[in-house]
Amino acid sequence: MFDIFFVQQLVNGLSVGFIYALMAIGFTLIFGVLNVVNFAHGEVYMIGSFAGLMSITAFAPPLFVVILVALAFGALAGFGLERIAFRPFRRFRDEASLKSKAVREATLLSSLAISIIVRELAEKIFGSNMQAIPQEYLLLTPVQIGPLTFANGQFLIFGLSIAMLGGLQWLLKRTRIGLAIRAVANNPMGASYVGINTERTIIATFIIGSTLGAVAGLVVGLYQGAIFPAMGFAPGVKAFVAMVMGGLSSIGGAVVCALILGVSEAVTTSFFAQGWGDLVAYVFLVITLVFFPTGLFGGGRERV
Amino acid sequence: MSTTILEIRNVSRRFGGLLAVDDFSGSVGRGERVGLIGPNGAGKTTLFNLITGFTPVSSGFIRFDDVELTHLKSFQVARLGIARTFQNLRVMPNLSVFDNVSIGALGELGHSPLAALFGRREQAKAVSQRTWEALERAGLQAQAGELAANLSYGKRKYLEIARALALSPRLLILDEPAAGLNDTETAQLAEFIRKLSNEGLSLLLVEHDMNFVMNLCERVMVMASGRKIADGTPHDVSRDPAVLEAYLGSEESDDPEEAAA
Amino acid sequence: MRRNIAVGILLLLVFVALPGLLSAVGGGYWFRVTTTIGVFAILTMSANLVTGTTGLMSLGHAGFYGIGAYTAALLATKLHWPFLLTLPAAGLVTAAFGILLALPTTRLIGIHFAVATLGLGEIIHLTLLNWVGFTRGPMGISAIPGISLEGLFPASDIGHYYAVAIIAVASALVLGRLTHSYYGNALRAVREDDQCAAAMGLDVVRLKIQSFGFACFFAGVAGALWAHTTGYISPADFRFSESILVLAMIVVGGLGSLPGAVLGAVILLILPEVLRPIGDYRMVVVGAVMFLCILFLPRGLLGETPVLAILRRQFGLAWDRTKHLGWRQ
Repeated sequence: MFDIFFVQQLVNGLSVGFIYALMAIGFTLIFGVLNVVNFAHGEVYMIGSFAGLMSITAFAPPLFVVILVALAFGALAGFGLERIAFRPFRRFRDEASLKSKAVREATLLSSLAISIIVRELAEKIFGSNMQAIPQEYLLLTPVQIGPLTFANGQFLIFGLSIAMLGGLQWLLKRTRIGLAIRAVANNPMGASYVGINTERTIIATFIIGSTLGAVAGLVVGLYQGAIFPAMGFAPGVKAFVAMVMGGLSSIGGAVVCALILGVSEAVTTSFFAQGWGDLVAYVFLVITLVFFPTGLFGGGRERV
Repeated sequence: MSTTILEIRNVSRRFGGLLAVDDFSGSVGRGERVGLIGPNGAGKTTLFNLITGFTPVSSGFIRFDDVELTHLKSFQVARLGIARTFQNLRVMPNLSVFDNVSIGALGELGHSPLAALFGRREQAKAVSQRTWEALERAGLQAQAGELAANLSYGKRKYLEIARALALSPRLLILDEPAAGLNDTETAQLAEFIRKLSNEGLSLLLVEHDMNFVMNLCERVMVMASGRKIADGTPHDVSRDPAVLEAYLGSEESDDPEEAAA
Repeated sequence: MRRNIAVGILLLLVFVALPGLLSAVGGGYWFRVTTTIGVFAILTMSANLVTGTTGLMSLGHAGFYGIGAYTAALLATKLHWPFLLTLPAAGLVTAAFGILLALPTTRLIGIHFAVATLGLGEIIHLTLLNWVGFTRGPMGISAIPGISLEGLFPASDIGHYYAVAIIAVASALVLGRLTHSYYGNALRAVREDDQCAAAMGLDVVRLKIQSFGFACFFAGVAGALWAHTTGYISPADFRFSESILVLAMIVVGGLGSLPGAVLGAVILLILPEVLRPIGDYRMVVVGAVMFLCILFLPRGLLGETPVLAILRRQFGLAWDRTKHLGWRQ
């Protein structure tokens, strides 16, 4: 039953799943606060990895500095994204307009447009092919624990993910900004009535969500050894799937579903070919939307 | 043909632990003007949603002219002959007045794409005709080409009613038709509704304006906390102790209800 | 009368003036460009029906385009069906898929539906890519016969242009008829407020499925045309970015407007040609144009309401009671 190969795949799947989880959280936070899908989230992931690569080739700093660079660029990207693609559509301040279909579709389209622009520009600057990460930084050193082989990169993924998730929980539950985020996610109008600065909260949400995404991108780059400008699309969609499966407004649900997704993908890839593994996420997506519109863990929003 | 056109029997609607409508029974007679009143949160709009198929019934049944309505979808209920207006005015602002009203006509006369592609002009003519009739009844024919968004609040109320009329309904359900209107407008609306009723339409309406209800309706049902607490002529209901208590005892006692009672 | 003149001029332009002009500037390549525009015009008009008129944002339209293309290509290369049969077959097969896939998703609204279509589009794309036994995967299908009539005329760039033009005009007629009729009004009601439409007696689910079915039929037709006029198709032609391209075209042209859809197609396909020197930046330009349009021209260039109002006033229809006409017939 505990076939070593299977367990190995499980572990691989979990590491992929954690990456999706980090991105899914970004989606969920932004969706919770603004009720819009951020189509450009995948590009933030990509920016994190390229920022890391650039810092490595520029002045070869130690690993944790690279991570900080990715964090910084992620935060910047998140801020820019919010200002350019989302803010202009909050022209109207009343509840009906904010929730209106037209506004949400417009932001969907605008974030989509921005993601295209960013991705294409990156392809122009860096070329669309894979860029290799210098050997020294790769986290592929095998580590043997019993019969299982891990790469130390996977430990970094696990460790970093759990640290960031923990940090996020602390932020949301124990800080003022966290409280503000939860308040705005619950009721934007009400939050502003009690004096919460919704604009700043939204910006903060974007920054936090994007930093998580950017770090995820960097770590994946270090782990897989090569990055390319279009790398954000697939993980972005998968993170979105995780969010939907988790019920749209639940961070915990999104994380769990991201892990499920990662594992299913790994298992499918090992038993079929690589291409079919990608299919898994989309099939999950459609099945969830059709049969579980409120998410697997319920409590999702009905008429979004 | 019985004298009752709408029959609601022991209807309840449960939302998790909350009983929004609790064992409600009532009826609307053919050609009758019935009012439904009650404090905010009494479940009036929920009842409307139950009748029109917007929300599923948890228990009980609803019959319209001897046809079972209880599990029908909202478009089926509409096609049977029940049209409604909405509390928060759901007019389609980006379409013209004509197009808005025609939606009711399309609901009743059907909307087949093949007929649009290959059919002769009968279908289009029928829809057009029905739409014009409804517009004229509501006095909106001069604004037919206007964008609905450009209409004044008062006119939009008539637009909603015209749209409902285009369905050729036998029962018209009005959800707070006089809300937001001044005294003159309210009187005009009451006139209009009375005229519709005289033409044979059965009416069920919710209103908070007590004078409006008392003057227009032949019978009044009172709802509080999901239950029916009174059912009778406006005169009797306004003196019913249970009704007075429901209004005086409720939190929202800031209205002329007390003065009327 | 005025309308007939306008249509007449347009037809003259498409069938006489333009080909003449293109021949004069060197034929071949330019005919291929306009043929592509024609194919995309059909595709955008079909997308406009479902996204612009009915309000169902579809992010996977390229998938259906792909189904049509592969249907035609496989029928032509494996079963040697002639073009006159592959075209309707592609349309019908795609429509069937569309309806099948739309059935479970009609309950979804707004963003959920959009994302479901995204998923469906990707599933279609990945299936085309990986089911190598059936579709030859990334290698694609080549040597698809061009559009020709036995003994009459062989396949050629000019021939392709006329074939596509004829079909595009026919599609425009059908789609226009649907959109500008009382049926179109029912679709618009679904777009504006589907709950309210249902309360007024409209069978919203049926309307959504019909809309999707028609749109997919024409997407399939466009796919078949693409397959036959270019001779080679591969899954790369039907990725998510193609869906976005189509979406950008209808956004630029104006959601809900049929002539706008065509205009959007023209603009977004001509632009990279005109900007040949930086041709590789096509998608950047697409993204930028799309973004600017959403920001500054939310109604697009020919947004629906203004156009219909203009048309109505121009052709003096609709409000003439004696003719009992509510819509252009």
